[in-house]
Amino acid sequence: MAREVHVIDPKDNTGTVISRSMTKGRAIEVEVAGEVRQIEIQQDIPYGHKIAVRPISRGDTIYKYGLSIGTALEDIAVGEHVHIHNIESNRGRGDRYKQATAAKEALR
Amino acid sequence: MSQFWGYVRPNDTVGIRNHILLLSGTIYANSTAERVADAIDGAVAITHPLGRCQVRPDLRMTFKTLVGMGKNPNVGGVVVIDHFREEGCTADEIAHEIAKTGKPVEVVNIRKSGGAIEATAQATRKALYMKRELSKQVRQPVSVSNLLFGLNCGTSDTSSGIGSNVALGVCSDKIIDQGGRSILAEVMELMGAEDYIRQRSVTPQVADKIVGYISDMERRALESGEDVRGSQPTGDNIVGGLSTIEEKSLGAYMKSGSSPIINGLEYAEECLQKDPGVYVMYTPGHGSESITGIAAAGAQVLVFSTGGGHTIAHPIMPTIKITGNSESFEFMKDTMELDLSGIFRDELTIQQAGELIYDEVLETCNGKLTKAEILKEQTGFAIHRVGVSI
Repeated sequence: MAREVHVIDPKDNTGTVISRSMTKGRAIEVEVAGEVRQIEIQQDIPYGHKIAVRPISRGDTIYKYGLSIGTALEDIAVGEHVHIHNIESNRGRGDRYKQATAAKEALR
Repeated sequence: MSQFWGYVRPNDTVGIRNHILLLSGTIYANSTAERVADAIDGAVAITHPLGRCQVRPDLRMTFKTLVGMGKNPNVGGVVVIDHFREEGCTADEIAHEIAKTGKPVEVVNIRKSGGAIEATAQATRKALYMKRELSKQVRQPVSVSNLLFGLNCGTSDTSSGIGSNVALGVCSDKIIDQGGRSILAEVMELMGAEDYIRQRSVTPQVADKIVGYISDMERRALESGEDVRGSQPTGDNIVGGLSTIEEKSLGAYMKSGSSPIINGLEYAEECLQKDPGVYVMYTPGHGSESITGIAAAGAQVLVFSTGGGHTIAHPIMPTIKITGNSESFEFMKDTMELDLSGIFRDELTIQQAGELIYDEVLETCNGKLTKAEILKEQTGFAIHRVGVSI
């Protein structure tokens, strides 16, 4: 059976959806760092978008390609949609990224 | 160590084609160049809207790019055509630079030869005899270390950054492991990849130079009223699933593989340094301007990775088009070379996809024609500009 989520690097906490049937409540199998995991989809996710494959906390670095693509603005559970509503670029304007990082620093 | 069959030039560079080039020095020589190219078997015309009334940095860029076309190892001989007496970009000056390679170069001036018909006759005759001589040349086996390999992508979608670009990186690494060189361009699409460029650059000076290209391009865009940080990723990128500028840029950056970054190159700068590895050229994301800069550096072949499909093809540098999107391949199969969508069906590993690209590159080097070459698609020539017309 064709893969539904493509995870590029063992370090990644997100995978890319390459299926058009990522509907809320479905349980799918995702290969993360060579190990197949069961993941429950938390909301409908469009083709080409990202899904969290590991638990992510506010202020965490978001990894895709094994590289940083930004920072989490809130806690993101496994199976949730990862997109512009909950992550922010570090290289772009970065306003929201600064808030998220400051919040994380305050918790330490 | 692989080999391919190439044309060895007097300056020891190696071509994978043996083109006769009709090089138009200015917009006003375009028709003559095209008429001659139509009349001569296998000849290629390079035409453009520039060469006149340009600010000095642009005139230099036009000159450098046209010279680069003539010097490219895929060109066996050149006829340069101009119409009158230009300033800083004359056919004689262009020819003088190209002749340093040792290949035959001729000049035709439309005014001095008596107008369009006589200029066409003269240029056709020069190209005819040049072609007779070039046709005696045979291909010789040479090492892959002679390859200067071009990397570019465009009309990207989800499949590009996670599929075809990653596989292209595998192909690039394989060429570099055998002593070859690759050129990565499109500086705007490296915004957000700065940290990783620093990690891979051979010295901090090289890293500073390349990161400097990115900030310079960003500044130029800002001065024209475009804040790239606010407009990237674009609206359609976001609908497609890209969330941040880093995500978009790093997907493009994937095609450079993991080999060391050796140096930066200005737009259309000849790549004279021979160290194997990746060279980063200052070009915009405009596909034709970007691959023209790469061809001017001396690249013999380029792989263009695309998600949605693309018609781009450089006139003298075979442009192999690959995609990880099976739908796009079906839509444009007369235009694309490789369908790598098997990556997403577990039919192809990234490594295997990289090997497929490499095999296609080597076959193309040996003489296999791209679809665009057979159809005479020449959409990939354009000269980058920085200033106004005056």
